[in-house]
Amino acid sequence: MSIEIDTELAVLLDVGSAWAKASIIGRVRGRWRLVTRVAQPTAWGASELRTALLERMARAVDPRLSARLPDLLANANRIECHTARRPGRLAVVAVSRELSGSAARRAAEAAGWQVVEHVTLDDGRSLADRLARLQALETDAWLVAGGFDGARSPRAMEAAALVAAARRHGGAPVVWAGSNTLAEEVRGLFEPEAATAVPNPRPDARRDDSAPLRDHLQRLLRSVVAREEETHLSAIAMPRAVGALAAGSGLRVLAVDIGARTGISALAEPDGQVASRIHGGGGLSGLATVPGAASRVSRLAGDAGDEAAVADLLQTIRARPASLPQTLEELSASQVAARVQLAALLEDASPGPIDLVIGAGSTIASAPTPSQSARMLLDGVRPIGVTQLAIDAAALLGPLGSLPDDEIGEGMALLTEDLLVPLGTAVVCRGGDPGRVAMRVTVHRPGWPPIAPIELRTGQLQLVPLGRGQEAELTIEPGDGVSLGAPRRSPRIQARATGGAVGLMLDARGVPIVLPKRGDDRRAVQAGWRDALGREGPPGVERVA
Amino acid sequence: MSVVHRIRLPVGATPMVEVGHRVEPAEVLATRRPAGPGQTLPVATRLRCSALEAAEHLRVVPGSTLDAGTVLARRGDREVRVGHACLFLAYDRDDGSALIAPLLGSEPIVGHVRGEVTEVDPEAIEIRVGGALVSGVGGSGSAVHGELRVVVHEPGEELRAGAIDVGATGRILVGGSRASAETLTRARAMGVAGIVLGGVLDKELRDFEATQRRRRQVGGPDASFAVLLVEGFGKVGLDPALFAWFRANDGKLASLFGDSARLYVYDADPPPARRSLPRPGDRVIAHRRPFAGMTGELARMLEGSHAAPSGVAALAALVRFDDGLTAVVALANLEATEPAAGD
Repeated sequence: MSIEIDTELAVLLDVGSAWAKASIIGRVRGRWRLVTRVAQPTAWGASELRTALLERMARAVDPRLSARLPDLLANANRIECHTARRPGRLAVVAVSRELSGSAARRAAEAAGWQVVEHVTLDDGRSLADRLARLQALETDAWLVAGGFDGARSPRAMEAAALVAAARRHGGAPVVWAGSNTLAEEVRGLFEPEAATAVPNPRPDARRDDSAPLRDHLQRLLRSVVAREEETHLSAIAMPRAVGALAAGSGLRVLAVDIGARTGISALAEPDGQVASRIHGGGGLSGLATVPGAASRVSRLAGDAGDEAAVADLLQTIRARPASLPQTLEELSASQVAARVQLAALLEDASPGPIDLVIGAGSTIASAPTPSQSARMLLDGVRPIGVTQLAIDAAALLGPLGSLPDDEIGEGMALLTEDLLVPLGTAVVCRGGDPGRVAMRVTVHRPGWPPIAPIELRTGQLQLVPLGRGQEAELTIEPGDGVSLGAPRRSPRIQARATGGAVGLMLDARGVPIVLPKRGDDRRAVQAGWRDALGREGPPGVERVA
Repeated sequence: MSVVHRIRLPVGATPMVEVGHRVEPAEVLATRRPAGPGQTLPVATRLRCSALEAAEHLRVVPGSTLDAGTVLARRGDREVRVGHACLFLAYDRDDGSALIAPLLGSEPIVGHVRGEVTEVDPEAIEIRVGGALVSGVGGSGSAVHGELRVVVHEPGEELRAGAIDVGATGRILVGGSRASAETLTRARAMGVAGIVLGGVLDKELRDFEATQRRRRQVGGPDASFAVLLVEGFGKVGLDPALFAWFRANDGKLASLFGDSARLYVYDADPPPARRSLPRPGDRVIAHRRPFAGMTGELARMLEGSHAAPSGVAALAALVRFDDGLTAVVALANLEATEPAAGD
């Protein structure tokens, strides 16, 4: 006589512009666990995803459930997030490229807009050319900037008038982010309600405060482009989940997601407050059109081929975002591209000391080895101090963040064992002189034989084995002129490290990382760092480069 | 087969066609009056008051389009009128002058497509194009039209500068796997309308574009020229089935839109279709190195995930390429190529 068994399932779905990730969670012996997961190009469609999920489930669940799997899947709760259907297109018109123009552009991109045209009055074009370009544009919003607060800049008015001349009556909304003295006058150039004035991101020559403009542009983006239920948008859902995670754990958490099209960062404080950024061109495909990006990626990777080959690869990623690296060179270039985009995402807002950094998005969270994920996070974020690193390998954060407020924390608590894959702990310092000791670290691992203090010289990276679930007490003695981010009164810093798929990463390469100028030297140093993190060694043996 | 092509009109353009009109590629669909170089117009001097006071007497706001003779400012019985139709862009409160951009004579907006007008509004004109559409992965340049001419013998052959002669003037050439910046420059100099390629090195395309920009800056002739990449970046051959389709349509009229990576070929059957997620037995084309642009047959799917040499594990398939190589390729890097209609 067979015994009837039953279970509850839920499908967590993260549909990106290039890849769709689906995870099945189920109640296993009274606890919710990740049963299986599938990732496939979004273009393959929902039916193929369902088929793949059923095949995976058939291998993972009790055989007595096999016949009922289609019904169970059909009746499962579906928790979904997705990227916006299309990017929001915005034109920036400003007085100067270096001041008002760059501040406006950065704020727009950090808010998730795709800047389709950037006109400044010092861009070397003729007035006629500027007008022709603007009149031919198809945009969802206009951003105009220029002039310092309290001053009446005729050039700033000219920038606004250019938009008034080029914009269709009743067309896309206008945001004035220039001199507050001109706000009323600028509004008067457009029909009522068409233009909104926000605080100037460059109120004077010394200050740069683009936060209010960025917040306004984020709200505008949602109202103009993403009219669907916004909590299901990945850019909203992922930060909500990170906020709940920080509130539940009491940690300061930074999550970064490099997708195909956009990049997202969410910095959550222990009280649950979250500051998030969506970089419209911050995904892997965004680098193809950035001047000098191919050269930078080629130089930083060392093993990805020359600039021309990397330029072709970046364009291929843009044109076919769902395709995968087939060769080691392509993988290396893709991962360095992710590091470059991570650094750009955090460029304007150094997050300071963080307790936990989470990497998301296929390139980071689905890298072939955990050490590659760790390297992207270490090099892209440069988390100074003692920081846990983890990846959202099953792409659960986004879907969980799309739940109602009161259910997010509960969902995370239920999935606590499977939510993140811990990579380990990083100790990153900055400063110090080349070749001299940057930090001396004593590692006490319960149950392990004591090891001598590890001396790390400036420029070195060392891995100490520390497996998942293991903990270690660290005593860190920074060298002269070396800092771990926070002010210190004692020459020794005590910290706790938790293990993971990579281990304890001691990183004295500085912030930012400085590479040798000579190509051969650079490649040798890069290969050493790659080996230090990447090669498996016998337990208890430290690797250094 | 027909597709709807949308031509966006710049602000201020006047449509010259109506719904139902049949249009030819060289036909003018609308006109616009572009703005000319900026000019300053003394306002305060003519009103005989200070620059600051003159600002109070302006009758129009910056950004306005003014007809010839429109009053720009008036103070008592003194007034400043604009002599020509223009855009009023700014008033300088320091020197009391206005910045205007005169509107020049009408310029035609040519559609570069053949078809029937289905919608006309101030923002765009939509045309139903009776022809086949080939979408590419990238491109460069403006809208052009001309007769299609295949100038290479094999889909993997590189288009050499020597293959371009006076007979290519005004035509859209179909090359093979690559064209150097030198070849592109020669093509443009010879009056070629456009080039369709399997691939091109991104660096060479950028070099060519930079050359063209510099040429425009120094006042060189601004002839239209467009490039369409069908398969990818780098040296990538055309799919042989698509190449055969191009050969079958050699001599037919085509419209090429480089910036939006689209090519219409008139009076042609649909080109070979592409489909993601190929199945065993399908003809496939691979993307990403080292197989980019190679075609073959999907022999069988591999069980579960399979790690590529990069280490990336994904669903993969065994592909027998046409050159005899058999290789495991990630399914995400393959597209099924379906025969062209009539094959």
